[in-house]
Amino acid sequence: MSLPASLIGVQPKFETKGLKAGFKSTWVLNGIDIKIPPNRVTAVMGPSGCGKTTFVRCLNRLHELTPGAVVEGEALLDGEDIYDRNTDPVAVRRRIGMVFQKPNPFPTMSIYHNVVAGLALNGERNKKKLDHAAEQSLRGAYLWDEVKDKLTDSGASLSGGQQQRLCIARALAVEPEVILMDEPCSALDPTATAKIEELITQLKKDYTIIIVTHNMQQASRVADYTTFFYLGKMIEFGETADLFENPKEELTERYITGKFG
Amino acid sequence: MPRLMDMGLDQLNSLLLEMANLSQSAVVASIEAYSKGGKGAEVRQMSDKLQTLHRQVSDLSMEMIARYQPVATDLRFLKACMEISYGFFRYGRYALDITQVLDMFGDLKACDRTFVVNTAKKTEEMIRMSSEAFARRDVEMARRIPAMDDAVDESYRENVRKTIQGRANLKCSMSAALILRYLERIADHATYIAESVEYITTGIEPTK
Repeated sequence: MSLPASLIGVQPKFETKGLKAGFKSTWVLNGIDIKIPPNRVTAVMGPSGCGKTTFVRCLNRLHELTPGAVVEGEALLDGEDIYDRNTDPVAVRRRIGMVFQKPNPFPTMSIYHNVVAGLALNGERNKKKLDHAAEQSLRGAYLWDEVKDKLTDSGASLSGGQQQRLCIARALAVEPEVILMDEPCSALDPTATAKIEELITQLKKDYTIIIVTHNMQQASRVADYTTFFYLGKMIEFGETADLFENPKEELTERYITGKFG
Repeated sequence: MPRLMDMGLDQLNSLLLEMANLSQSAVVASIEAYSKGGKGAEVRQMSDKLQTLHRQVSDLSMEMIARYQPVATDLRFLKACMEISYGFFRYGRYALDITQVLDMFGDLKACDRTFVVNTAKKTEEMIRMSSEAFARRDVEMARRIPAMDDAVDESYRENVRKTIQGRANLKCSMSAALILRYLERIADHATYIAESVEYITTGIEPTK
């Protein structure tokens, strides 16, 4: 599959080569070759069961935590295989943050402690450093102004949209390089969705973002590049505007125009 | 099962086919009035109707975009619909302009109208082909239209050169120059419509 013209000569942040993943003898992903550019938003779309969530879970080695999970092929972060036997999966996950479909703040923790949880788990005890990280991350997630006076309140006391931004702040606190988002707005109302989408476009200045979405309009709003998965294969990858206006593959055309099945 | 959007797309297609027929009739009527010395009274009605239809196409296209967020072929079709509708509307408007030339200049029976009528035949053929290429999404037919536009352009320029030389009767040469200018513009719009037909089908934009 040819690379979009704008990516020729661009060093990918993430690259997968023949990436296969599944459970025991069943492959969910059937050999994905993709080059994800740095500091851009790349959307992964496709029908349910196409392997898009499995794909992003492979990119920070979450997939292997499921009993029976198998992974083959390469996933190169800045040219280094994250599946190399000498690579520590915890270190990988620190570099690659994840935001899930449903906001999942730690319910018994305060807003503050939710944000610094990752740092604290990694042994950071310096209060000044934690305070600084909390503020910076909440500012980065555009949540600071809304919560700065109630940092000790429970994370669960926030609205759904705020909780999702809290989860993004939590991901930012450990200073990742890549943020994976698995349908981050599917549980949110249009207003909260708009805020997350604005946030995503701001975050790409500092991070590489890969977002799984069912919502094509969301992909067209936020993503610089979009890929379409079907039955565990990558059918098409291109600049978002091109893919939505003039898809090269018949399968993509049929899926995005709703003529599928 | 048809998609919700399909009803609107079908309606747009019907509107454009109606515009194609009407605009073709308007241009033919205006040239007939010129060649046979009539007034082309019905052309204004057709031109007005084309304007109404053009507004309907624009409104419906915008509504479809707002309601269904179309992509791919659907999006290209809607984008092209607005361009094509404008082209058909302009055919009607130039037809009206031609009849207004006849009103302004009065009786042109003494003028040799062969050159203009021959150019009009080429233009009418372009209109017919652009309408048919749209109706059948016939890219091959659409691709033949730009070359025909060159011939109409050349006819227009040739007449301008002759007019500058000033050998012809002023009334005849001025009326011919104006009508040829309108025909030249109609031919341009036929070319834009042809390009839109190609864009719908292949996704290739003429500027790309």
